[in-house]
Amino acid sequence: MVRRSPIKVVGSRLLQALPVIVLATFMVFALLKLVPGDIAVTLAGDNASDARIAEIRSIYGLDRPFLVQYGVWLGNVVQGDLSQSLLTGEQVATSIGRAFPNTLLIVVIALILALLTGIPMGVIAAIKPNGWVDKAVSMIASLGVAIPGFWLAMILVAEISLRLNWLPATGAKSFTASPIEAIRHALLPGIAIAAYGMAEVARQLRGSLLEVLSSQYVRTLHAKGLSMSRILWQHGLKNVSVNLFTIISLLVNRMLAATVVIEAVFAIPGLGSLIVRGAIQRDFPIVQGVVFTMVIVVILVNLITDLLCAAIDPRIEQ
Amino acid sequence: MTEMTRREAIALTSAAIAGVTLSGRAWADVAPKRGGTLRISAPANPSSLDPATGGAGSDHAFLFTMYDTLIEWDFETLAPRPGLAESWKFTDPNTLVLNIRTGVTFHDGTPLDAEAVKFNLERNKSDQKSNIKADLASVASVEVTSPTQVTLKLSTPDTALPLILSDRAGMIVSPSALKAAEGGTVARKPVGAGAYAFISWADGERIVVKRNEKYWKPNRPLPDGIEFSIIPELTTGARSVTAGQNDLIYQLPPRQKAILDRVSSVKVVNGPTLYVIQIFLNWAKPPFDNPKVRQAFNFAIDREAFVKAALAGLAEPAYMNLPKAHWAYDKSVAGLYSYDPDKARKLLAEAGFKDGLAIDLVGYPDQDSVQRQEILIEQLRKAGMNVRFANAPIAEASAAFFASEKRGSGLLAAWTGRPDPSLTYSLMFTKDAYYNAGRAPVPPELEAAIKASRASEDIEQRRKAFATVQRLVMENAFVAPLAFQYELVAMNKKVQGYRPNLLGKPKYDNVWLES
Repeated sequence: MVRRSPIKVVGSRLLQALPVIVLATFMVFALLKLVPGDIAVTLAGDNASDARIAEIRSIYGLDRPFLVQYGVWLGNVVQGDLSQSLLTGEQVATSIGRAFPNTLLIVVIALILALLTGIPMGVIAAIKPNGWVDKAVSMIASLGVAIPGFWLAMILVAEISLRLNWLPATGAKSFTASPIEAIRHALLPGIAIAAYGMAEVARQLRGSLLEVLSSQYVRTLHAKGLSMSRILWQHGLKNVSVNLFTIISLLVNRMLAATVVIEAVFAIPGLGSLIVRGAIQRDFPIVQGVVFTMVIVVILVNLITDLLCAAIDPRIEQ
Repeated sequence: MTEMTRREAIALTSAAIAGVTLSGRAWADVAPKRGGTLRISAPANPSSLDPATGGAGSDHAFLFTMYDTLIEWDFETLAPRPGLAESWKFTDPNTLVLNIRTGVTFHDGTPLDAEAVKFNLERNKSDQKSNIKADLASVASVEVTSPTQVTLKLSTPDTALPLILSDRAGMIVSPSALKAAEGGTVARKPVGAGAYAFISWADGERIVVKRNEKYWKPNRPLPDGIEFSIIPELTTGARSVTAGQNDLIYQLPPRQKAILDRVSSVKVVNGPTLYVIQIFLNWAKPPFDNPKVRQAFNFAIDREAFVKAALAGLAEPAYMNLPKAHWAYDKSVAGLYSYDPDKARKLLAEAGFKDGLAIDLVGYPDQDSVQRQEILIEQLRKAGMNVRFANAPIAEASAAFFASEKRGSGLLAAWTGRPDPSLTYSLMFTKDAYYNAGRAPVPPELEAAIKASRASEDIEQRRKAFATVQRLVMENAFVAPLAFQYELVAMNKKVQGYRPNLLGKPKYDNVWLES
């Protein structure tokens, strides 16, 4: 087997990503134009008139053909310009630059919490399948999957913020300005999203571990007289790590999507809030910009996962 | 009692008389204090911070802090009051003279004089980016007749102008900032002469303003600054006040009152506004092209019950487009449509719908709107009207109903107040008005009455003209007004001096913070 250099792999993967970016942004743009609702009406304001709405269409180029509008947007992106909000005139890159760190912090916290709780749960459940520990774990995992994140979020706010006053109920703080305050603000939303992640990690890990533990080489290890914990932590986990990385990459993508609702509950000005505002107001440069960013994040996460998996397990074709 | 505290006490007393509920504390004893930052939870990102280029009614809550208007209004009645113009006079029906206050400067140090006012009015009237050209349609020319005097020559008598100048059209922007600005708008870098000067605006997140140290009103403003956090989810916004992260939240839905009344650290203030929840009717197409059906529709709605069930009683039943407190309210019109389902059925039968009829309406999908719809469906069913709502988000539903698609026969939405009632009526009940969904003609006497309401400066004559306008609108049943929703504001107990106003767009002129 000839291994290609990692640089070439990364290059070809990024090249493959281009059509994905174009397709995704084009589809979102088309959807925005297909659904009824017109930003020209919003722009014309409370004292709108038919003449003013028509005038606004021509000022903002909203009367040009659909493909031309998309082409103009894409042309600007190629030149590194995500253009600006039709409504407020703020540069989309500025909005995203401010919102993205807030969302990222929540996802990172959620991921860490999900792994810190999910991995031990999955491991102890796999030691004695169908024992009471396993049953308890699978019950908690089912709950984690079943409980809606926004409901958990509201309960957490009511109890931990409003009653006990331990953590702030709303908002976000900049991580660079004050890391501790930023984490305090992101903790509750992180927990709300982590619940699902914890369940997913525990269930998947238990399944893969059981498969590994029932394989022949584990029997050999037992026969060699290795302790259960060494088998588990040294051999078992190493063999399921490829699965684990795949779970993590899927989780990151799902958690990014979950922030849309969670950010509304906590009034966090992140990517989710941004895309909701853009979509409601039909402010398409904002929606396009956020979709563009999200697509790039997802592609990067998948790329890193693939590279990691390949590094751990050379059998995986790059 | 010092001068300032006496004024404070008068203001607060009149607020109490106007039916404002205040907390039990002895407010009159406390002297207003300077300092502190007022943290406000605001429900919407502004569309623009340039008064001429913006469009949303929710922008005013920010604009009023940074821009002073030529004319101001009385909080309780919306009668005009001096602002940047210390006096004004119609020297003849086609000439309005404004005397500009001396010694006022913009935040950037530019003097606010007659030239600055002229520059703004001309820009508002003719700049391509201006959304308020129509507001100043009657102004033919603006002349500087002295360094402190501006004379408006009108193409037609327009006594609505003073109050029009209390809104966007009268917000004065620094001309030097406008001339220097890219694209000729100060949408993102506002420079006015208001109580607070702009610091920053992060879209959908935060707007920060600081005290204008050279503000012309004595001892105002009291806080060092205001920080608006933009929180569109009102339940979340209310929680931010409960948790002490913000000091005040405005424009709350009535259902929040019961929740907030239980929070001991928060006080709730409410008062009547012009914000009217109503059903816009398209009288160009069936079934509302028949006046009898429109009248039946109005008779079939039990507004008292609607206010109790849908708005927790925090509203005034609406029988026309002006509430009781307004200077142009007419009592006799209010009696036109007292709840009468039998009369509604009779009118329907006369219109040829003896066995009832189905009506398709358009609405919004949020929790409050859907609750209102459920109550209306039930009320109208009792009068033989089988109403169905097709719901869509605001941007979609509103455009589908008012613009070219003409979806549905009616739209359950709301009308935000305009400082002068003539605007409300001309924007909805003239032939080509955008908010006349069918663009259908109205009786000539209604158009004439709307015109007449702008012809005389005398308040009694204007009141009479509006009585005619209101009577014609309601006799023709061009709209089904339902309720004037109260302004509901919740605040932390250290916030003092806040008063709601009849326009329903908050002003924080006299607010101060107890330490």
